[in-house]
Amino acid sequence: MKKLMGVLLVVLALVVGIVPLFTDCLSQGRALTTTDGKTVPMKCHWTAIAEIGAAIPLGLVGIFNITSKRKETFSTLSLLGMGLGALIIAFPTVLIGVCANPSMICNMIMKPTLIAAGTLAIAASLVVFVISVRMDRGQANIAQAAG
Amino acid sequence: MNLYWLASKNISGNAFRTGVVALCALLVGSFALFTTLLMRGAENSLRLAINRLGADIVVVPEGSEAKIESALLMGVPARFWMSRDILSQIAAFPDVESASPQLYLATLTGASCCSVSDMFIIDYDPQTDFTIQPWLEQNQLDMLRLGEVVGGTYISATDGKQNITVYGYLVTLMANLEPTGTGLDQSMFLTFDTAYDIASKSVQQAERPLEIPTDSISAVMIKAKPGSDPHLLAVEILQTIPGVTPIESSNLFQSYRQQMTGLLKTILFIMSITWVLCVLLLGLVFSMAANERRKELGVLRSLGATRRFVFQSLLTEATLLAFAGGATGLALTVLIIILFRNALVALLGLPFLLPSAGSLLLQVLVGLFLALFSVNLAALLPAMKISRQDPAIAMRE
Repeated sequence: MKKLMGVLLVVLALVVGIVPLFTDCLSQGRALTTTDGKTVPMKCHWTAIAEIGAAIPLGLVGIFNITSKRKETFSTLSLLGMGLGALIIAFPTVLIGVCANPSMICNMIMKPTLIAAGTLAIAASLVVFVISVRMDRGQANIAQAAG
Repeated sequence: MNLYWLASKNISGNAFRTGVVALCALLVGSFALFTTLLMRGAENSLRLAINRLGADIVVVPEGSEAKIESALLMGVPARFWMSRDILSQIAAFPDVESASPQLYLATLTGASCCSVSDMFIIDYDPQTDFTIQPWLEQNQLDMLRLGEVVGGTYISATDGKQNITVYGYLVTLMANLEPTGTGLDQSMFLTFDTAYDIASKSVQQAERPLEIPTDSISAVMIKAKPGSDPHLLAVEILQTIPGVTPIESSNLFQSYRQQMTGLLKTILFIMSITWVLCVLLLGLVFSMAANERRKELGVLRSLGATRRFVFQSLLTEATLLAFAGGATGLALTVLIIILFRNALVALLGLPFLLPSAGSLLLQVLVGLFLALFSVNLAALLPAMKISRQDPAIAMRE
């Protein structure tokens, strides 16, 4: 189960890192033009860039979940996964945001994709956390019975 | 050892079987909920739009029936006109209680004023109107004055707290209507006087002036007298006034209703096939599992487990898997529908409004019941067969 959740986290990390790059307004050729004629990317672009920073550690958490054999690391990894999931949701909603127009691609595709991916990352990490806690309790019970 | 312990041990002991059964339950539950939510959401949206318009009959220029539906429902740009004289001809019918003109002006594409890219401008006459006026009175707002507007739910102020620039003219957004999930959500309602004022000043103030054809209207909203037959009135208007088409409110958005019916038929067909295939696959998986566990179940019987216990343990296993798969699928479907509703509306070309929390919960419970029913139905026959088998024969084979 933990390996399966690890694979899911890696897939989610890829989605979080790649999808925003193709669904921000800049990828559709839309940018703001300042009074001096310069074009500036809209804020959804900065959200897309920031999500790469969250996707990389999430991918690593997924890989460690697959490869790690030490039981102690799972609860730490899952807590980290939950935090990263929350961060993935926070970038397009609270921290940076996306464009105001609900019919723009960043609002229709990018933001919901990131919220869904963040929610799934939290859920997957929560599953790993519950399993690791139950495993720890099981081991403690065995040790108590043996002692 | 109780039923749940035995069932959960069997579930954790066979990852492949667990995965297949949970996936089938997930598919059945989520597909059922997705279809129901989408169709009911579109139907609610259509009903709310018709209620918002409040008319028994809408009269439009001949050949503009599809245009008005697309404009009101999806906010698709529409320009159609007819002579204002038609209004007085309609008002003269004895069965007409009130007739109010509306003028559909221009859709501003990429306007900075709105939180949507296309904004539909609807002019109305406050003296005769029964679309916006009752809503304003209900919300204790005065009749709109010159320069004041009411917006759909997506219309937001851009200049200051309440102002919006339209064709270089600053209008005041007085209130926002409740969402309908249709093009009305991206419409701005203003009086004829405000529209004429914008048009006259836009020549100097706007990059592109607002053009209003003189003595023209786009549609006439009709409220029939209580006790009269709107259908007969519509037929009378059609026969008496040339060049116009009366649309009864029950026939409004007919092309969208047909599109919805077509989509519903297709989805129901695909869903039926998916359901049958899932039940068959589940039946096969449970048959294989029961066959594989004949000796194990034979041992259980020989240790004193009753037929009923064996039967119940298999059905409990099926129920637990169906619950886990179904609940996951339903949660994912609700998440997807809520997050991607705007993309779905754009993709399917249908209006959509999320149901109330109570209605959503009811639909989720129905979806869960369908998942539980399907998995248990598939597990029923193998469970009956294996529980009836003689333990001595089962262990020897």
